[in-house]
Amino acid sequence: MQAEDLPHLLDFVVERLEVGVFVVNSEMRIVFWNRFMAIHSGQHSEALLGRNLFEAFPELPRKWLEKKINNVFVLKNYAFTSWEQRPYLFRFHHNRPITGGVDTMQQNCTFLPIKNTQDEVEYVCVTLFDVTDTALLQLQLNSAIATLQVEKAEQQQLMLQLADAQSHLMQSEKLASIGQLAAGVAHEINNPIGYVYSNLSTLEKYVQDTFGMLAQYEQAEAAIADDAVRAQLKATREKLDIDFLKEDLRALMEESKEGITRVKKIVQNLKDFSHVDATDEWHFADLHLGLDSTLNIVSNEIKYKAEVIKEYGDLPEVECLSSQLNQVFMNLLVNASHAIEERGTITIRSGQRDNEVWVEITDTGKGIPAENLKKIFDPFFTTKPVGSGTGLGLSLSYGIIEKHHGRIEVQSVVGSGTTFRICLPNKQPIELQK
Amino acid sequence: MALSVLVVDDSPMARKMLIKALPANWDANITQAGNGIEAMAAYRAGEFDLMFLDLTMPEMDGYQTLEAVRSEGLNCIVIVVSADIQPLAQERVLKLGAAAFIKKPVDMQKLEPILHQFGLLD
Amino acid sequence: MLTTDQKDALQEIANIGMGQAGEVIAKVLNEFVTLSIPRILILQPNLIAPALQRMVNSELVSAVRQAFHSSFRGEALVLFGLQRCADLADLMGYEDDIDHATEMEILLDISNILVGACLGGIAKQVGVDIGFSAPSLLADRVPIKEMMKVNDASWQHALLVEVNFQLEQRSFACHLVILMSEHELKKFAGELDRFLESL
Repeated sequence: MQAEDLPHLLDFVVERLEVGVFVVNSEMRIVFWNRFMAIHSGQHSEALLGRNLFEAFPELPRKWLEKKINNVFVLKNYAFTSWEQRPYLFRFHHNRPITGGVDTMQQNCTFLPIKNTQDEVEYVCVTLFDVTDTALLQLQLNSAIATLQVEKAEQQQLMLQLADAQSHLMQSEKLASIGQLAAGVAHEINNPIGYVYSNLSTLEKYVQDTFGMLAQYEQAEAAIADDAVRAQLKATREKLDIDFLKEDLRALMEESKEGITRVKKIVQNLKDFSHVDATDEWHFADLHLGLDSTLNIVSNEIKYKAEVIKEYGDLPEVECLSSQLNQVFMNLLVNASHAIEERGTITIRSGQRDNEVWVEITDTGKGIPAENLKKIFDPFFTTKPVGSGTGLGLSLSYGIIEKHHGRIEVQSVVGSGTTFRICLPNKQPIELQK
Repeated sequence: MALSVLVVDDSPMARKMLIKALPANWDANITQAGNGIEAMAAYRAGEFDLMFLDLTMPEMDGYQTLEAVRSEGLNCIVIVVSADIQPLAQERVLKLGAAAFIKKPVDMQKLEPILHQFGLLD
Repeated sequence: MLTTDQKDALQEIANIGMGQAGEVIAKVLNEFVTLSIPRILILQPNLIAPALQRMVNSELVSAVRQAFHSSFRGEALVLFGLQRCADLADLMGYEDDIDHATEMEILLDISNILVGACLGGIAKQVGVDIGFSAPSLLADRVPIKEMMKVNDASWQHALLVEVNFQLEQRSFACHLVILMSEHELKKFAGELDRFLESL
């Protein structure tokens, strides 16, 4: 190639390059406009040369672009734009009229200072690269990555739930076997307790009879003629301190009866609670009885934390699955005692209105923050340390109350306490009774 | 009689570059200081006719040094030699009493007329 | 890695580069820029992130990276804390309220101007040509240690030159960091030697 051919060759290359190239002077007049620019803008070089860029293309963002180009003149330094922040400089059709995906050619632009011999910038050359294909791929990639990240987060959530579910399963199996054990023990104890209790009653009667007999003997004592026999009787009576024995025997009988009654009650509570003999059938039950037997079951857990105040109203018997309601009461009572950090009170109120009854359990505990309040009935939601709560208690309770066509509501003030309120219809809707 | 000149800059390299840019057969005794505190101490030990002063320095920077020179009423021409070449920086040091402002890296061609202007060079 | 003379020379050259970048950004934004003394460190890969963290007073950063190529090569980072740059939009010629992409474009523009002026100034002093890649967004509000994942670095030490710019009248600040691997640092040190000899 001849040296003199070189400028011509360069002209040709720049003209035919598949890159937009144009040059402006410091007055923003166009001094060069290559074929790529002409084809895509629909304006040819001859018509544009010498014209102000912004007059020829009023749709350009003038204030910004003028500042950008001016900075290249003043700072004598390259400038750039990238499709990611500025999709295009000129609104050109892209090279995907058929396969599509974007509405405009995506462009990366470089602003190049062209200096004269005095080291001043005389022109700014702008090159405009069509990066539509790359941009589309990038956008697809970005959305794929975003999807993956969402899925990854969901998977992590699922793994957590799985771990929780597993610990809950173990917990509920443990509870179930404890329940069975308790039920078995209760059943076994129930028989001996039964005959000890009835024997005690008989025994009491026998003792009364025996004392009656003894009294008659004492009255007859004076009629005994033999002085020696009388003296021996007196000595024996004084030795045995019969008067005290009579008193004490009565007290012992009383205490034993009381003790055995308590044992009976505990066994009954255990049986009620674990409903070994209760059929899972709808029946009318006294909720206060359920509350009391549940309180007895959990009294160990509660008694060191809280004083329980009962403000029971007048309740009719309510159609319910009483053993399931007892589960709900237990849950709320245990939660209430957990919420109390030092010592406090748990108040149980009840009442009726229209065809509904309500039970309220109020604690003076630490309260539930507002952001947690709407989540407390969600399965697996727990604020207790991992492993110590299943996060299922309240959601199970919610399910049980729903099954009763009732409502469970919560009100809480952080720092002063929480109230759960359960409302139940007196009678279940008709279809249930079949 | 030789001029006494104090060159204040935290960079030994910058001091070297400045000293090299001074006129070749200029009759001057040159002392160096690494920050404003050293400069003020050097001045108290023996007065100077001229001080070349950098702006960004640790301990006591050029602005603080200019204020000290003014408040102590030192009889010394101060030429600020700075890499911070914002017009506002130039304006500020001139207001603080600097006689002139020279950009880094120091250009010998631009330094000489300034020395002439203040009668520091024949 | 660097002799005292080389380090001193680099300190002064970086100082002058920073001054030029400061002047340029002051001109573009029409604001006075407060400059601090450049800090020069040679660090192992795992210490880069903590060093940057100490410099940027913010948990999350946005960052722009730009490669430079001369007789030595490296990367320049410009780090931005979490200040909004909405009030710069007007100064950069934007007319409307800015969206996120525009905010990022402003960061890219400011970075490009700073890197061009600062490294351009450094290259000019040691008498070499320098070119730059287009700036790209390295991080958008991420923790620094996630941004600088250099566990698989092919280098043991890197030069870190840190320059801080703070607008006097606005709560806007950014930090320019020049990073060079030890291999490139050797070449750069050669240029510094030539510069020192010319004095």
